[in-house]
Amino acid sequence: MIRDEDILELEEPKLSAAERLYLPQILGGMQTTMVHLGKTLLANKKMTVQYPEEKRTLRLENYRGIHRLNRDEKGRVACVACFMCATACPAHCIHIEAEESPWDDREKYPAKFDLDELRCIFCGMCEEACPVDAIELTPHYDVVGRSRDEMILDKEELLSIYDKTADVKPRKNPRITGYPEVGNRSEQGPSDEGEGL
Amino acid sequence: MTPSTGYLLYLLFAMGGAGLYLLLPQPGKSRALPGVALSVLALAGLLSVLAVKVIAPSDTSAYFCLFSAIAIFGASRVITHRKPVYSALYFVLVVISVAALLVLQRAEFLAVALIIVYAGAIIVTYLFVIMLAQQSHETVYDTRAREPFFAVLVGFVLMAAITGKAVEPATTSEAKIVTAQFAQQNLAGAIEGLPEGNTADVAAALLTKYIVVLEIAGVLLLVSMVGAVALSRKKIPVEGHGLPTRPLGQIGKEVEPF
Amino acid sequence: MTEFLTSQFGVSIILAGVVFGILQGAVAYCIYFERKIAAWIQDRCGPNRVGPAGLLQPLADGGKMILKEDVIPGHVDKNLFVLAPAIMFIVAFVGFAAIPWGGQLELGGKLVSIQVASPDIGLLYILGVASMGIYGVVLGGWSSNNKYSLFGAIRATAQMLSYEIPMGLCILVIVLTVGAIRLEDIVLPQTAYWSDVIPKWNVFLHPLAFIVLFVTMLAEANRTPFDLAEAEQELVGGFHTEYSALKFGMFFLAEYASMITSSALLAVLFLGGWHLPWIPWAQPEATGIAAVIVKMLVMGGKIAGSLFVMMWLRWTLPRFRFDQLMRLAWGGLIPFTLGLFVLTVGLLYFDKHQSPLWTLGGNAVVLVLTLAVAGLSRRDVTGRPASLPSLEGRSLTHGRLAGDVS
Ligand code: SF4
Ligand code: SF4
Repeated sequence: MIRDEDILELEEPKLSAAERLYLPQILGGMQTTMVHLGKTLLANKKMTVQYPEEKRTLRLENYRGIHRLNRDEKGRVACVACFMCATACPAHCIHIEAEESPWDDREKYPAKFDLDELRCIFCGMCEEACPVDAIELTPHYDVVGRSRDEMILDKEELLSIYDKTADVKPRKNPRITGYPEVGNRSEQGPSDEGEGL
Repeated sequence: MTPSTGYLLYLLFAMGGAGLYLLLPQPGKSRALPGVALSVLALAGLLSVLAVKVIAPSDTSAYFCLFSAIAIFGASRVITHRKPVYSALYFVLVVISVAALLVLQRAEFLAVALIIVYAGAIIVTYLFVIMLAQQSHETVYDTRAREPFFAVLVGFVLMAAITGKAVEPATTSEAKIVTAQFAQQNLAGAIEGLPEGNTADVAAALLTKYIVVLEIAGVLLLVSMVGAVALSRKKIPVEGHGLPTRPLGQIGKEVEPF
Repeated sequence: MTEFLTSQFGVSIILAGVVFGILQGAVAYCIYFERKIAAWIQDRCGPNRVGPAGLLQPLADGGKMILKEDVIPGHVDKNLFVLAPAIMFIVAFVGFAAIPWGGQLELGGKLVSIQVASPDIGLLYILGVASMGIYGVVLGGWSSNNKYSLFGAIRATAQMLSYEIPMGLCILVIVLTVGAIRLEDIVLPQTAYWSDVIPKWNVFLHPLAFIVLFVTMLAEANRTPFDLAEAEQELVGGFHTEYSALKFGMFFLAEYASMITSSALLAVLFLGGWHLPWIPWAQPEATGIAAVIVKMLVMGGKIAGSLFVMMWLRWTLPRFRFDQLMRLAWGGLIPFTLGLFVLTVGLLYFDKHQSPLWTLGGNAVVLVLTLAVAGLSRRDVTGRPASLPSLEGRSLTHGRLAGDVS
């Protein structure tokens, strides 16, 4: 319900006679634009970045460009095929097929991991959702492809992007990377270091 | 001007009238083909009779025939076209070709005034109204002529009478002289005496000889303008808007949830 | 052959070709400069990729326009849809015929005018042609069979009809002052001097009429702040929403061509046409080929200046609201120009219409009267609609309720 106090009444300021001619304000505006024009032309103060030659500096930590799939410290794909990212993705552009993991420290791994970069809206929800920080967005943004198929990246391509960008932006230190060592599995269960998982 | 020319002219007018009658939009199947044929024949005949017999050939008579043909064609399309927007556009065509005829008569000021006033303002206003009124397809009664037969009859009898009077051999000696002079002098010759720039003369005539007429016209326009303003200033009551009548700031306060 | 070439007719034909060619180029480069100026005003660089400093951009744009697919939607009235851009384009260019570009040229002992045609009613011819331009907008908007286009067309019609009146009155002020409607005869008196120093340009006699004429020309050319016919936020693209490729290009070029016509007319009426004081080549006595070239350059410079101000304004001002636009024309400009007109007629009666002291004094009186009327009238300019309850009695400070702290 709208309360009386919530209503803010706005009244336009009364214009003086000179202001009603519009001309003084128009001249004032023209002065502003002319000053900008002069500065740009004479002092060469242009804001434009000449893109292919120059590039803007980006915030490495949070610029949201193309994705990568991280490797863990042993060089394996870090993803545990939990489907959190696919569920969180508002554009439904992640397609995962899980299989039983060949390694002991996790149950599943993605046999297939396809990401459609053309459907993606680069919102970063997948990165937020991933419990093991396996999927991440990199500051890489100039990606091109000659067909739609080319822009659907599969697991190998996503991993290769990690290989290319790992030294610029290393994988964050995930709080959990998987289950603790084999053998303790049945005793300790999944709640070891990652409390709240 | 021999009597036979006069009869030929009347015959041509009858043909033209019949052609136009066939062309006018009417219920039933389209009779456009014979209509077009008749009208074109009549128009061509009329122009050639006029060009050969009445106005002696000069360097401007070709333009005269061209623009009058366009004007007549446009005028007939104004009344025969089924879409009002096109009718208005053909009206523009008529205005422009009549302006061209005026230029041939060295009445440049009138010509341009005609274009500015009619084509530039009045017909645009027509179009404005038509565009607003005719968005969906037209109704049946909007796309057919009301009284095609009588309209054509009256129009063409009048036109034939005027034309016949203008070109027929005059009976009184005075008129005979005038007609003879008219016939002798070709179109270019008749206007040779006019000064090159005659805008000032138009103004002088308007403001001296025809000052009363001018003033009456002005007063008439003023009256219609005042009337239009008076009609359009009708106030619509505030309540009719569905706007809140309670003081501002109380809206919502008194409204209980249903 | 040489005789034909040195006759007025031959010169006119050659000039028509030359002027048409130059104008095509000028229009294309107008678009380039519009983009450049917009960029500079907004601290950007503008087109700079095609050719040095982007100078070949207009060619690239033209190529793009020609090569794009020319879509004619299925629901349009096809004849009028095709006709509309053609009307617009033709009308925008035929107006140039009556503009005196460079005074007179001596050719084989005879003087010929550097002007395609010199009708007695030159000024009225340009006005008449310009008034036909509205058909392009109206037909384009109507035939598109699209409500946004129709709205654009309707706005354009109302706007052009309204602004033609103050425009005509301003032009009448000059016609009365000079006593001629042939464009060369309007230029010639302006080449004289007051006390051998100040050129007798009409702008020094009627500065207010100059400003008003400029404003109405902006409105006639559909330029900001009067570009409601294509208000992107409300009407998609306005009357040319459905147009693509070359047809759209024709609308686009026509807009700039009519800007150039307006500017040329402004230069002729108020700024002395091709005349420039103290430069011997830009005087009416100089009739050599060099003089003609200098005169054409002077004319071009004046046109360019006016175009620059138009572009500068476009990137400065927001768009009017439609009721403000109408109120400006009918409530502001028309009474104001009527005042100027009556003033001129009065001065003409006392034979003081050529004396700057009297005209400037009269202009000042009209301006002061307007200010007084504007200051005294209690009506708001932008206005809370009268149909809403009044705010009187509610203690309002500037924009906020009194006592409203947060
Ligand atoms: S960035 Fe957003 S849209 Fe793209 S894959 Fe991740 S969750 Fe989906
Ligand atoms: S959220 Fe992370 S671990 Fe889970 S499927 Fe996606 S990338 Fe793999």
